[in-house]
Amino acid sequence: MEKVLLKNLGREGAHTVDSYLSGGGYEALRKALGMEPEDIIQMVKDSGLRGRGGAGFPTGLKWSFIPKDAPEKYLCCNADEGEPGTFKDRGIMEYDPHLLLEGMAIASYAIGAHKAYIYIRGEFLFAARRLQEAILEAYEKGFLGENILGTGFSLDIYVHRGFGAYICGEETALLESIEGYRGQPRKKPPFPALSGLYGKPTVINNVETLACLPAIVNRGAEWFASIGPEKSPGPKIFGVSGHVERPGLYELPMGTPLREIVYEHAGGIREGRRLKAVIPGGVSAPLLTESELHTPMDFDSLAKIGSMLGSGGVIVMDETTCMVKTAYIIMRFFSHESCGKCTPCREGTTWLKKIVERIEHGRGVPGDVELLESLCDNIFGRTFCPLGDGAVMALRGVLKNFREEFQYHIEHKRCMV
Amino acid sequence: MTTGLVTLKINGREVTVREGTLILDAAKEAGFDIPTFCYQANLSGLGSCRMCLVEIEGQRKLQPSCITPVMPDMNVFTETDTVKMTRSAMLEFLLSNHPLDCPVCDKGGECELQDLVYKHGPRKGRFAEDKVRHHDKDYILSPVIVKNANRCVQCMRCVRVCKEVVGRGVLGAVGRGVHQEETSFLRTRLDCDHCGMCIEVCPVGSFMRLPYRYRARPWDLVSARSVCGYCATGCRLTLERRGDTVVRAIANPEDGFNRKLLCARGRFGYDVMNSEERIKTPLVKERDGSFRPVSWDRALELMKEAILRAGPERAAGVASATLTNEELYLFQKFMRKVVGTANMDSTSRWSAESSLKFMEAAGIRGGGTSVYQCAESDVVVVLGGQLSEENPVTDYILRYINGARRNTLVIASPRGMKLDSSAQLSVRTVPATTGAFIAALLKALVEKKEVSMEGMEAVKGLTVEELSGVCGVNADDIRWIAARLLTAGSVGVLAGTDMLRYDDGAEELALLVRLLENTVRDVRVLPLLDRANQRGAWDMGVHPYLEPGYRPAQRRGHDVHGIVELADSGGLGFLYLLGEDVLGLYPDRAGVERALSRVGFLVVQDSFMTGSAPMANLVLPMAMYGEKHGTMTNQEGRVQRMEAVRRPEGEVRTPLETIGRAGNLIEKDFPVVRPGDVWKEIQKQVPGYGEVRGMEAFKGASADQVAELKPSFSYAVPERAEGEFWLLTGNHLFHGARLSQHSGILRELLGGCVVEIGSTAAQRLGVGEGDMVEVEARGYRERLPVRIREGTPDGVAFMPENFDGKDANRFFDKDRVVSTVRIRPYKKQGE
Amino acid sequence: MDEKTRREIEGKILPKYRTRRSACMASMQLVQRQKGYLTKEDMEEIARLLDMEPVEVEAVGKFYTMYNVERPVGRYHIQVCENLSCSLMGGEHILKHIERLLGIKTGQTTGDKRFTLSVVQCLGSCGTAPVIQVNDDYYENLTDKKVEEILERLK
Ligand SMILES: Cc1cc2nc3c(=O)[nH]c(=O)nc-3n(C[C@H](O)[C@H](O)[C@H](O)COP(=O)(O)O)c2cc1C
Ligand code: SF4
Ligand code: FES
Repeated sequence: MEKVLLKNLGREGAHTVDSYLSGGGYEALRKALGMEPEDIIQMVKDSGLRGRGGAGFPTGLKWSFIPKDAPEKYLCCNADEGEPGTFKDRGIMEYDPHLLLEGMAIASYAIGAHKAYIYIRGEFLFAARRLQEAILEAYEKGFLGENILGTGFSLDIYVHRGFGAYICGEETALLESIEGYRGQPRKKPPFPALSGLYGKPTVINNVETLACLPAIVNRGAEWFASIGPEKSPGPKIFGVSGHVERPGLYELPMGTPLREIVYEHAGGIREGRRLKAVIPGGVSAPLLTESELHTPMDFDSLAKIGSMLGSGGVIVMDETTCMVKTAYIIMRFFSHESCGKCTPCREGTTWLKKIVERIEHGRGVPGDVELLESLCDNIFGRTFCPLGDGAVMALRGVLKNFREEFQYHIEHKRCMV
Repeated sequence: MTTGLVTLKINGREVTVREGTLILDAAKEAGFDIPTFCYQANLSGLGSCRMCLVEIEGQRKLQPSCITPVMPDMNVFTETDTVKMTRSAMLEFLLSNHPLDCPVCDKGGECELQDLVYKHGPRKGRFAEDKVRHHDKDYILSPVIVKNANRCVQCMRCVRVCKEVVGRGVLGAVGRGVHQEETSFLRTRLDCDHCGMCIEVCPVGSFMRLPYRYRARPWDLVSARSVCGYCATGCRLTLERRGDTVVRAIANPEDGFNRKLLCARGRFGYDVMNSEERIKTPLVKERDGSFRPVSWDRALELMKEAILRAGPERAAGVASATLTNEELYLFQKFMRKVVGTANMDSTSRWSAESSLKFMEAAGIRGGGTSVYQCAESDVVVVLGGQLSEENPVTDYILRYINGARRNTLVIASPRGMKLDSSAQLSVRTVPATTGAFIAALLKALVEKKEVSMEGMEAVKGLTVEELSGVCGVNADDIRWIAARLLTAGSVGVLAGTDMLRYDDGAEELALLVRLLENTVRDVRVLPLLDRANQRGAWDMGVHPYLEPGYRPAQRRGHDVHGIVELADSGGLGFLYLLGEDVLGLYPDRAGVERALSRVGFLVVQDSFMTGSAPMANLVLPMAMYGEKHGTMTNQEGRVQRMEAVRRPEGEVRTPLETIGRAGNLIEKDFPVVRPGDVWKEIQKQVPGYGEVRGMEAFKGASADQVAELKPSFSYAVPERAEGEFWLLTGNHLFHGARLSQHSGILRELLGGCVVEIGSTAAQRLGVGEGDMVEVEARGYRERLPVRIREGTPDGVAFMPENFDGKDANRFFDKDRVVSTVRIRPYKKQGE
Repeated sequence: MDEKTRREIEGKILPKYRTRRSACMASMQLVQRQKGYLTKEDMEEIARLLDMEPVEVEAVGKFYTMYNVERPVGRYHIQVCENLSCSLMGGEHILKHIERLLGIKTGQTTGDKRFTLSVVQCLGSCGTAPVIQVNDDYYENLTDKKVEEILERLK
C-alpha cells in the first residue's frame, strides 16, 4: 500500500513547506475551500473515517453535531499522545507537520472554526517547535491567517503545550487544560460539540485522524473506504514496541492481522524467543496471547474479542516477561495518572497498584487475586471518565490470561519466569 | 420562563417533577434517599464522588443522580443490588485512605462519612496497605480554620463554596490523584472572609473550627434556634452550648432560608455572649463619678423617679434596631403610654424624614420580598452601600444565583466591593449622589421608551450627561443599564442604607420602581439594612412620627436629631438608651458628649459598656441574642422566631422584663409580660403580622402611606477640597453594630480599626496595605493602618463605624451631608 | 519575573487565548525555562498578572508533573521512563546504571547541583526504548555505553 501518513517518516528536510508543496501539499485545502462545508462533512462521513485517538468514533458524524449557526467554534487537535505504547502522532508532527496543518485547516473549514489549538504533550518540545515553524511558514504562504487563498476563510492555529498529565488526552480534560485549569474531565452532557472550549462548540480530533483528511479530499471518499474493513477503513499507523526485532511505526491498512504486524513487519520476536503476550492498542487495551494473533487489527474485530484497537500501540512481550511485573508497571502508571476527581479511580487504582506491588515484591497473601478482581468490579463502569475503566481492563486482561502466575508469586514469593 | 413537568418512574413509583430536576431530588420527592458526598445544593454539579450512582433502564452504565436531570418516561432504580453494592464499594474506597481517627476528630458524631458507612457501608475493611498521609499534624489556616487533609474525601465542596458562593476562591485542590489536597496557597494563612463556609460544608473532619477544637462532642451540646444579630440579612442559626458556655453557632441547612450560609460574624461572633466584659448588674453613678452596683428594685425606682421628674415633654428614648419585635413594641408602648412621649427613635444615624421616604420607596411598610426572588430577577440592581461587607450572606446568595443563572447584575455604589467581580457592570457613584444616578437612569429610560407617567414631567428638563457629571458615572454606562432594564422580564432592586444616611435617592427610587412596574411589571425591591431588626423597629412603631403598623402618630415627637438638640439645650430630663450608643454613632461626637452631659437623668441599658454608658446616671445590664425568646423581622420582611439557648447570667435581664417592671412600677395596669403575650398584642396591633407557623413567616403589608414622594431633581456634587477624601462609614465584614468588639474571635480577625482607600489613592499617597496613615479632620487626628480596597476610587475613604477609641463620628460634621478628611502617610520619628 | 518575561506573556502568550487564565500554563513554562523551577513569588506574580488566585496557579503547577514547584533541580534534569515498553527493553537497568554513575538515588540531585535524577511515565518514544529525557532532549535506544557517553559529555 502506498503510504499517505508516514511517507516522509525519517526523510531529512521533509518538514519544510517547500518540500511539502513539492509533493502536492495544500492542494487538498485549495480543493476543500472550493467546496461547501456540508459536502466536506458528507465526504468524510462517506469515507468511513473513524477517530484514531482511541475510541474510533466516526469523524464525519462528530463534526455534524456542531451547530451550524454558532458564531464561535473551535477545533482542537489532540496531540497529547499519552497512552503508553503510542508514538505515532509524534512521527507525523516531526516529519510531516504540514500534513497535520492542512488536515486541521480542512476540518476547521468544514465545521466553521476560525481558531484551532494543537494540544501537544509538554515532553514533545522538538515536535512543538517543528509545528510552530510550520505554522509560521503556512501563514507566510497564505495557508493560514486572514482570507486563506483568497477564499475569505480565516484560521489561526496555536500550539498549546501540556506539561505532564496523561488525563489531558481525555477530550474534556484537554479543554480544561487549555483554559488554564487542572486537567480534570468535565461532566457530559453537555458534550464538547455543543459546549466545549470556552463553552463554545468544539471538535476534538486526534493528530492521525486529521492527517487522513488531505488524502480523503484529494483522492475521494471511495478510495479511503476501499482500504481495509468496511466498518473501519483507511490506512492506520501501528507503533510496535517491546520484544520485537524491528520496533517502530508501520502504516498498514486497517484490519491487518496482528500476526502479520508482529512477525512480518516488526520482524518477529527478538532473539528467536517465543511470544507470551501482546497489547494491541496501548496499555489500556487488554492483552492478547498467541491464540489471538490472527485477529484483524481494527476497531470492531478487537472489540469482539474483548480488547480494543485504542491508539494502535502494539507492545510485544516475550516468554521472559513477568506478567505480575507487567501488571505492576501498568497499575503504577494509572495510579500515578489518576486525576483525583472521582472516588473509584483515585482510590481504586492506587489500591490495585499497592496489592499488585506487594505480590510482585513477594508479600502477597492468598485471596489477593480475588481481592483484585473484586476491586476491579467495584471500579469498572463507575468512574467519571474512561481512565479508570482502562486501568481495570488492562488488569483484567492480565489476570484472565496469567492468573496462575499471580498465584505462583503469592505462593512462592518469587517469579516463575 | 416556561418550566414544563416531567413524569418518570423511580423504583416503580411514578413521580411528576419540574423539568430540569435532578434525579436525586426527584427520588427524594418519591421518598427515596440517595446518599451523596460531593453534591451540595447551590454549588455547581460535580458528580465525582460516585456515591449517588443509580441504574437507569436502557443505560449501560450507572449514572450519577446528582448531575443527571430527569427525562420523560425514565425508569430509575435506586435500590437494586448493583446500586447497593456500588454504595458500599465507594465507601470502602473512601475509607481506604481515611485515617479512622474518629475518637479524636471534632466531626465525630456528626460526620457524613461515619453516618453513610453506618447505613450503607461495608462491615469489614479489606485495605491492608499504608495510607496516604499528607501531614502528621493538623495545620492552622486562619484564626478560625484548622485543617486535616488526611481525612478529606475530595468532595471539593470547600473549594466550590469558597469560589462560587463566598467569591474568594482562596482554596484550591493542590496535587493530583491520591495526593490531592484542598488547601490554601502553599498552606499559608488565609486572607479571606473567614466565614467558615469551608468548614460548614465539609462532610468530614477535614476543615474544622479552631475555636471549637476539642471543646465538645455533638451529644454534649444543648442547642437552640436563633437569629443572627449582626445584620438584617437575618440568617437563622443554631446556637449550641456546653454547660453555660456557648461553644458554637451553626447554620442548620434544614432550618432557615440561609441554609448553610453564614458569614464570619454570624458563625464566629457568638462568643460575645461569653465575654467577661459584659455588664452584670445594675450600676448607679456616685457623686464622684464612679459606678456602684445596686439592686434591680433600687434601679427601677431611680428610673421611675427620673421619669416622673422629667415629665413627658422632657423625656425621650432611643432603642436599638437589633432588639426583638416584642422588646421594640413594648419599648414604644412604654414611651408612649407610661412616659407619655413620642420622642423616640431606633437609630442614631439618620433622620425621621429620611426614614419615611425610604420606607415608602423601598417597600418597607409593604409585604415581604424574598431575597431569592429578588436575586433571581433577570436584572438585579444594587444601589449604594457595601453589600459584601454589610450584608455578607446577601452577597453570597446573589453571587451563587448569578453564577448559576447568569442573569444581569449591576452595582452602583461609592466603594468597591467583592460582589463587583460577579457584576456585568459595576459603577462608582460619588458619595451621596444616588438620587442623581437614579435620575440619570430615569432620563435614559425615557430616552429609549416613551412613558407618560405622573412625576416624570420634570425629567424632561434633565440630561443624562449633566447628571452623569454629578454622580460620576459614565453616561454610556447609564444608558447600557437602562437598555438592560427595558428588556428585562423582571427586575430586582436592592436599596442600601446610603439612601437613609444621606437622605438621598429614595424619591427617585420610588419613581423608578413605578416606571419599571409600568414597563417591566415584575419589580421586586429589597431594602439592605445593617441593623438586624431595623424593619421590625419601624413596623413596631419605634419612630417619632409613626405608631405600630405605620399609623401616623397623633402627636409627633423628636427623632434622634431633635433628641440630641433638646438635650444640648438642657431641655431633656430623662433619656433611655436601650441597646443604642448615641455617643458612638451620632455625627459630631463632641457635640453629643456635651448634649448627653446635660441630660437630667440618663439611663443606658446595654450588654457592654458602650461609649454612652459611662455618661449614664444609671446603667442596666441587658440580655442579648441567645438569651431571649422573641421574633425579629429581617430586611426581607421575614418574621423569624428565636429561642434562648441559655438563661442570662446573674442579674442580667431582658429588655422585656426591664420595661415591663419599670412600666408596672409607674402605671399599675402596665403588665409585666412574657414574649408570647406581647406577640399576641403585636398581631392585633400591627397589620401584616399574622400567624407564624413553625419558625418563620413573611409579613404582610400595612395599608397607610407614610410619605408623599416627589423628587426635586436638583443635585450637586458634595464639596471636597483638592486632595481630600470623602469619609464613609458603616459595618465592616468582621465588625457590625458594636457587639463584635467584644467577640474575641472577631477582634482577632479584624485586628483593630482600619481606614480603607482604593489602590489609586494608595499609590498617590505612597502607602501600601498595612502602612500607617494619619486621618485628620475637624481638629482630630487618628493614626490607622491602611486597607486597600480594589475598585474604590481615589477621594473616597472608609472607616468602620462605632469602633471604641477610634470613633469615626468625630470626623463627621453634624449638618454636612458627607464629611471630608485629609489622609497622609504617617512616618514614625526618625524614618 | 523580569520585564521581558512579562512583556512576552502580555505580547505573545495572552493574544492566543480568549481568557487571561488560559495563559497560565504557558507563562509558568516560560518562567520555569529560565531557572528550572517556580518559586512562591513567581506563582504570586503570575496569579496577579492573569487575574487568578495564587492557589490556583499552585494547583496547576502541582497537577502537571513537569512543573517543578518550589523544587529546584540540577542543571541537567535526567528523566528516565519507567513505563512498560522501556521496562521491557531494560529501562530499569538504565536507571540503576545512572544512579551508580552519578552516585545518587532517584529523586536526588548531585552535590554539585549538576544533575537531578527522576523517573517519569511513558515519554511517547516506545519504539526506541529505552529512553531518557535530559532537559528538553530525548536520548533513545539507550545502552550502558551510550548512557556513559551522554553523562560524560554533560559533566
Ligand atoms: C484517559 C484518556 C486518555 C486519552 N488520551 C488520548 C491521547 O493521548 N491522544 C488522543 O488522540 N486521544 C486520547 N484519548 C481519546 C480522546 O478522549 C478523544 O476520544 C480523541 O481525542 C478524539 O479524537 P478522534 O475522534 O480523532 O479519535 C484519550 C481518552 C482517555 C479517556
Ligand atoms: S476538604 Fe472537606 S469539603 Fe473539601 S473536598 Fe475535602 S472533604 Fe470535601
Ligand atoms: S453526590 Fe453524585 S457523584 Fe457525588
